[in-house]
Amino acid sequence: MRDFEPFLGLPLWVWLFVMPSALAVGCHFAKARLGPVLRPVWRILDSIYVASGVVAACFMVTILLLIVAQMIARWSGVSFPGSTEFAGYAMACTSFFALAHALTRGAHIRVSVFLNMGTAKRWLDPFALFMSAITATYFARYAIKTNIFSELLNDRTQGQDQVPEWLVTVLSLPANAPGNWAEMWANTGDDWVFTPIWIPQLAMSVGAILLAVCLWDMLTRTLIDGGNPIRGESVE
Amino acid sequence: MTEIYATIIFLFVLFALLGSSVWIGLALMGVAWVGMELFTTRPAGDAMITTIWTSSSSWTLTALPLFIWMGEILHRTRLSEDMFRGLAPWMKFLPGGLLHTNIAGCTIFAAVSGSSAATLTTVGKMSIPELRSRGYPEYMIIGTLAGAATLGLMIPPSLTLIVYGVSINESITKLFIAGILPGLVLAGLFMTYIIAWHFVRPSERAAAEPKMSLGAMLNESRFLVPVLCLVFVVIGSMYFGWATATEAAAVGVVGALVLAATQGSLNFKTFSMSLMGATRTSAMIALILMGAAFLSLSMGFTGLPRALAAWIDGMDLSPITLIAALTVFYIILGMFLDGISSVVLTMAIVEPMVRQAGIDVIWFGIFIVVVVEMAQVTPPIGFNLFVLQGMTRHEISYISKTAIPMVGLMLLMVVILVAFPGLATWLPETVRGPGSG
Repeated sequence: MRDFEPFLGLPLWVWLFVMPSALAVGCHFAKARLGPVLRPVWRILDSIYVASGVVAACFMVTILLLIVAQMIARWSGVSFPGSTEFAGYAMACTSFFALAHALTRGAHIRVSVFLNMGTAKRWLDPFALFMSAITATYFARYAIKTNIFSELLNDRTQGQDQVPEWLVTVLSLPANAPGNWAEMWANTGDDWVFTPIWIPQLAMSVGAILLAVCLWDMLTRTLIDGGNPIRGESVE
Repeated sequence: MTEIYATIIFLFVLFALLGSSVWIGLALMGVAWVGMELFTTRPAGDAMITTIWTSSSSWTLTALPLFIWMGEILHRTRLSEDMFRGLAPWMKFLPGGLLHTNIAGCTIFAAVSGSSAATLTTVGKMSIPELRSRGYPEYMIIGTLAGAATLGLMIPPSLTLIVYGVSINESITKLFIAGILPGLVLAGLFMTYIIAWHFVRPSERAAAEPKMSLGAMLNESRFLVPVLCLVFVVIGSMYFGWATATEAAAVGVVGALVLAATQGSLNFKTFSMSLMGATRTSAMIALILMGAAFLSLSMGFTGLPRALAAWIDGMDLSPITLIAALTVFYIILGMFLDGISSVVLTMAIVEPMVRQAGIDVIWFGIFIVVVVEMAQVTPPIGFNLFVLQGMTRHEISYISKTAIPMVGLMLLMVVILVAFPGLATWLPETVRGPGSG
């Protein structure tokens, strides 16, 4: 599989699918030993999920502000180019950042007829988590690939939306060696450039990774504690 | 032959994943992934992300989180109490008495919220205890509430209609406007049922309400007026073409915040709770939409939708037979899936079929909402039944029994829609302005 070329000596799919599965199997057979090791990790992950939920909520407010700004601009005859694209990006950010948080709070829905049949729950719940985790990992892997390709091909927006050039530079700093930073900064102009698609797509990559991590995480918790940690709030 | 294999494999994997309680959005993604790998030579992963990115960063979709948020804000205000107190003095004159507050309350809240469960909890929180204390029969209280709460799906803003509009690329404004008249007719049917009960079972009538002066009545309902103004502004701005659906939603959120603030129920806690709740709900729907977008792409590659549409066309069904068949199909589907999932899951297949048969897609959107409404109150999986079970502690079987007459009324609504299609198609044709978005 050309999309799963070796990484650190092992094919990528081993890292993505086999390793977490092995961890899950380990959790099933060595509950007492792995539990204390994983518990601090769970606490850290929990706060990450909440944090990403808060980020998503901020983007929700951004959607509102963008649309209100667009309406005011229209009434007062000022032009606000690209407002619909920006609202679309904010929409994507809201959805993707909130995926994992929504999962931990039981907001995502599923068909639970068989799950509630008593005896099946023991093994059906881990199985569902496992299948979901595999799918989400696949999703995350290609989200990252697409994101990297958008950057390599310098894919720009189809719309009228522009961002300041310095913002693009700042966001691409982490992907470059610190030695090059000064040069990159010096080459950055004061102009506005059409939005490179990879910037909003970062939200998709981060959100998909978090969702996959969250599902594997929930799987280990279910196997160690013998029950699903996802507690749905009242149906809403 | 490939199509038959493809159908069987798609259905098998779909039912296996959904049945093993994989989250619906991820199950759809999984099915699509398997389909792409088996039936096409295209790189599945890359096509998947392109589709998912395009569908989830769309401008049209931004109406969805905003309308959810608007409903969440109002859900957390004192609206429940005000709704009952404000409506009761006016409803006591009707035969059937205060039971009508269930219907009227749901109709009004449906006009500010797109969710059936939120409508149910907001109205039921107050009306169930109040109606019980006045001695109305339990089966009428619960049955009418279960039925009327489904109006949340029909009367704009409606989350199901937004999702439908995004799936088939139709104007959400038009769909919203199309939902108004059928929604009111359905509410009228529910009220007629209560009036009929009043005359058929005189022994079950509750005691008459005490008299109240006109001034006191107006005073009691003063809190309702701002809500009605908000409804008018949101729907009116779409109808008259002043704002797109998304902009109307933004106006709705701002209006709801102002309303909550003047009522004194807006503080940091309710604000952040409504915001986080709305974020989670919209992420839930977004995940289903992502899965559905990838599934439509995958099914499109196999040629399945086109083949099915051609097959249906070849059978030479009359539109009425097709609608009858689809009604049965959606009722069965609705027994296991919620409304939004069954809409997005089937649209890739049903849309070409419906267009081929020459059925108006706006009308079909309203039809599908009525059928999906029925699914909300039919066992074994009916969202409203679960919510009511949590609120009243009755058995699901009891609650669904009380809701049977409502399901009958909704079936009657389907017949009315088929007989008078203008009910859904007339009003949207009169929308001013571009009516886009």
